[in-house]
Amino acid sequence: MSSALDWLQFVLAPQMVNGLSIGVAVVLMALGLTIIFGLLDVINMAHGEFYAIGAYGAVALIGLGMSFWWALALTPLLMAVLGYVTERGLIQRVFHSKDRHTLTLLLTFGVGIVLEDVLKIVFGANPLRVEAPITGATELVGLFFPNYRLFVMAVGGLLIVAVWVLVFRTSLGAIVRAAAFDRYMSASLGVPISRVYAATFAFGVALAGISGVLLAPIYSVFPTMGRDFVLIAFSVVIIGGMGSIKGAVLAGLLLTQVQSISSLFISPVWNDPLLFGIMVLVLMWRPQGLYGKLGNA
Amino acid sequence: MEPILSIHGLSVRFGALLAVNDVSFDALAGKITAVIGPNGAGKSSLFNLISGAVTPTRGRVMFENKDVTGTSPDHMLKVGLSRSFQITNLFFELTVQENLRLAAQFLEQGHGLFRPLAASTRANARVDELIVQFGLQDKASELAGYLSHGEQRRLEIAVSLAARPRMLLLDEPTQGMSHADTKETEIMIRGLASEHGLSILLVEHDVDLVMNISDHVVVMHQGKKLAEGTPAQVRSNASVQAAYFGEHG
Amino acid sequence: MHDQAKPSAQAPSASRYFTWLFFLGALVFALGAGLVGDVFFLRLATEALIFGGLALSVDLLLGRVGLLPLGQALFFGLGAYVSALVLKEWHNSFWLSVTVSLVASALAGLVGGIVAIRAKGVYFALISFGLAQVVSKVVFNTRDLGASDGIIGVPGAAIFPGLTSADPIGFFLVTLATIFGLYCGLTYLMETPFGRQLSAIRTNEHRIPFLGFDPWRYKLLAFVVAACIAGLSGALYPMLRGFVSPELMFFQVSGNAVINVIVGGTGTLIGSLYGSTLLTGLKSVVGSFTAHHQIVIGLLFVVVVIVFPRGLIGYLSPLLQRRLSFRHATGRGGQ
Repeated sequence: MSSALDWLQFVLAPQMVNGLSIGVAVVLMALGLTIIFGLLDVINMAHGEFYAIGAYGAVALIGLGMSFWWALALTPLLMAVLGYVTERGLIQRVFHSKDRHTLTLLLTFGVGIVLEDVLKIVFGANPLRVEAPITGATELVGLFFPNYRLFVMAVGGLLIVAVWVLVFRTSLGAIVRAAAFDRYMSASLGVPISRVYAATFAFGVALAGISGVLLAPIYSVFPTMGRDFVLIAFSVVIIGGMGSIKGAVLAGLLLTQVQSISSLFISPVWNDPLLFGIMVLVLMWRPQGLYGKLGNA
Repeated sequence: MEPILSIHGLSVRFGALLAVNDVSFDALAGKITAVIGPNGAGKSSLFNLISGAVTPTRGRVMFENKDVTGTSPDHMLKVGLSRSFQITNLFFELTVQENLRLAAQFLEQGHGLFRPLAASTRANARVDELIVQFGLQDKASELAGYLSHGEQRRLEIAVSLAARPRMLLLDEPTQGMSHADTKETEIMIRGLASEHGLSILLVEHDVDLVMNISDHVVVMHQGKKLAEGTPAQVRSNASVQAAYFGEHG
Repeated sequence: MHDQAKPSAQAPSASRYFTWLFFLGALVFALGAGLVGDVFFLRLATEALIFGGLALSVDLLLGRVGLLPLGQALFFGLGAYVSALVLKEWHNSFWLSVTVSLVASALAGLVGGIVAIRAKGVYFALISFGLAQVVSKVVFNTRDLGASDGIIGVPGAAIFPGLTSADPIGFFLVTLATIFGLYCGLTYLMETPFGRQLSAIRTNEHRIPFLGFDPWRYKLLAFVVAACIAGLSGALYPMLRGFVSPELMFFQVSGNAVINVIVGGTGTLIGSLYGSTLLTGLKSVVGSFTAHHQIVIGLLFVVVVIVFPRGLIGYLSPLLQRRLSFRHATGRGGQ
C-alpha cells in the first residue's frame, strides 16, 4: 500500500507536473494556431518555425547582453511585427482566391522552409543552450520541483487566462469574434477587416514565439526544433476542434498529460503513435473535433 | 390506386426544435403530389428526411411497399427515388454533357468503370436523350457554371432524372425563375408525369403553380400537416386559408 | 483545384505536346549522355524521374480528387524499404522487388486511406501529415530496419539478363519506361468513368451520393492507386542509390513532392514530371554553390504560389493551346 503511495508521490506526481509545464507551452502554441484558423481559415504550416524563431530571438537578445526577462518581454513584440508583415506581405496576396485553404497552407509551408534555412544560415545547425534564469527547486508536499518549471506553468497559465479574457471579455475580442462569425457583415459595419486579420495573425505568431522563449531553457535550441512540437500542437487543435479556444486548452492539457504519464509505461518512441491514435479515434467519433469554431463558441 | 410513397408519422428533432412533427401522407404512382406551406413550415426538412439526407427521429418512409427509412442517398437512387435541389447543386466546372454523363453512369450499374467513356453505351445514349428532352442541344459543351439561371434549373432536373428513377422529389424547381421560365417548367413537370409516367413529389413556394399542376396537395404549418386533398379541397379548407392564404394574399 | 479540368475533349493537344516533349527530350538526353559517357547527370536525371513518380501520385490526389496529401512520402519510403529488403535479403530480382513493393503499398494505402479519407479538406492534409510523421518515427527507432542509418549496401537489381540497375543508362531507360507507363496508365484512368467521377468529387462532392454513388469508395480507390504509384517509384530508389534511410519518409520528401506538383502545374499530371526535373536540377545547381538550397527552393515556391498558382504547365498549356487552335483555324481558312 505504502509503495503504491510512494509511486504516486515520487513517480507519477512529478511526471504530471513536468507534463503540465510542457502542456501550457503546447496550449500557447495551439492557441496561436487555432485563433489564426478560427478567424482567417489559414492553417499556418510555419507555426513551428515561428516557435523556433521565438527561441532564437531569446538566444540573440541574451547574446546582445540583455537579461532573460527582457528577452521574454521583447521577443513576442518582435514576433508580432514579423507576423504582421508576413500576413500583409504574403498571405493577403492569396487570401481572396478560391483555393484559399490550400494556397494559404502551401504558402505558409513555403515560408516555413525559408525561415528554417534562414535560422540555419544565421545561427548554424548546432543546438544552442539558454541558461534558465531561475535555478533551484521548491519543496511542495515532500517533493522537489524545479523552480523554472513552476515559473513556466505560472506564466503560461496567466497568458492562457489573458488570451481568454482578451478574446471573450474585451471589445477587441468581440470584434475578432464577430469577424470570424461573418466577415462580410463585420466589414459592412466598419470593422477594418484586413487589419484585424493581420493583427490576429501577428497575435498567433507572438504566442508561438512566447512558447519558444519559455521552453528554450528546458530544451536546447536548434533550427528544426519546431517540427515535432508543431505536430503535437496540430493534434491538439484537431482534437479540440479547429478554431476553438476552449478545445485547444482542454485538449492541450489532456494530451500532454497522456503523453507524460504514458512515458512511464511505454517507450517514448511510441509517444507520437499514441497521440496520433487518439487523434484518429476522436476524429472518427467527432469529425469536427470536440468543440466548434471561434465565431460560435 | 397503390401509393408509391407512404409517409407514416415522420418526425425529426434538431435540438429543441421539432422541425417535422408526426407527418403522414401518401403519394400515388404517376401523379404529382405537392407539399406547400409558409416559410419554416418544415417542408425542406421533410424533403431531406424522405431523400435520405437526414435520418428521422421517428416514423417510417415506405417506397413501393419497402421500408426505406434512413436509407443513405446513394441507396435511395438504387431503390428508384431521386431528388433535385433548391439551390442548384451541379458540377459548375464541368460541361453540361459531363454533368449528365456522371448522373447517367448509374445506368451502367458499376460496369465499365475502368473502360473508356465511349464503352458506357447506355449512359451515353441516355445523355443524348436528355439533352434533346431538355432542349440543351446548343449548350452541351458549355460549362454548367456559364448557363443562365433558368438553364441551370433545367439541367438540375435533367441530372436528377438521368438514372431513370420511378419517383422524383423536386425541391422548389422554379426557385428564382422568370415568369416565362416558370411557365415552361410547369409544362415540363406535367409532361414528366403524364408522358413518362413519373411519380413526382414537389415542394414549392409558388402556390399558383402548385394548384395548377398537382393532383394532390399536402399543406404543412409549423412542422405539422395542416390539411391534404385535391387543390380545390385545399383551397376551400378554412384552416388552410387562415394559416396560409390569409397571409399570402 | 483550379479549373483546368475543362472538358478534356478540347484539352489533349497542348498537354500531349508537353508529354511528348518531356519523354522524347529524356530519350535525347539519354542518347547524349551515353555518347559522352556521363554518369553523374544520368543518375541525377534518374532520381528526378523517381521523385517525379512520387509527384505524380500527389497530383492524382491534389489535382484530380482535391485532397492535399502532406505525407505521401510514407508510401514512397515504404516502397523503398520493401524493395531494399527484398533485394538484400531475398533475391536481387527487379521484378520481384517491384511486385512485393506494389503489394505492400497497396495494403498500406488501403489502411492509410481508411484512416485519412474520412477526414475532409485541411483535416485530410493534417492527418496524412501525421500518419507519415508517426510511421517515419517508428522506422527511425526500429533497430531491425537499421534505425537512423537505414539499410545500406543494397545490391543492384537484375532487370534483364545482362542488365542490372548499376548500369546508368540502362537503369535510366528502365526508370523512364516505368514512369512513362505510370503516366500513360494514369491519363487513361482519368478518361474512364472512374477518373471522371474523381473530377466530379473535386468539383462538388455533396451531389455525388444523390447520383447513386458513394464518394468514399472512389476516394479510397484513388488513395490506394496513389499509394501504389508512390510505392513503385520508391521501389526504384534503392536500386539507384544502393541504400534507403528514414529520411525518405520525412516531411521534407512529402513537402518537396507537393512543391514539384505546384511548380509544375496542379492537375496537369505531366507538370509533376516537369516540376520534379526542374527542381532536382535546380537543387543540384544551387547545391554546388551553397548548402542552403532549401531557401532558394522555398522562395521559388512562395513566388509560384502567389504569382503563378497554376504552375508551369498550367500556365503554358493554355498559351500553347491558343496558338495551336489558331493555327488550326487559319490552316483551315486557307484551304
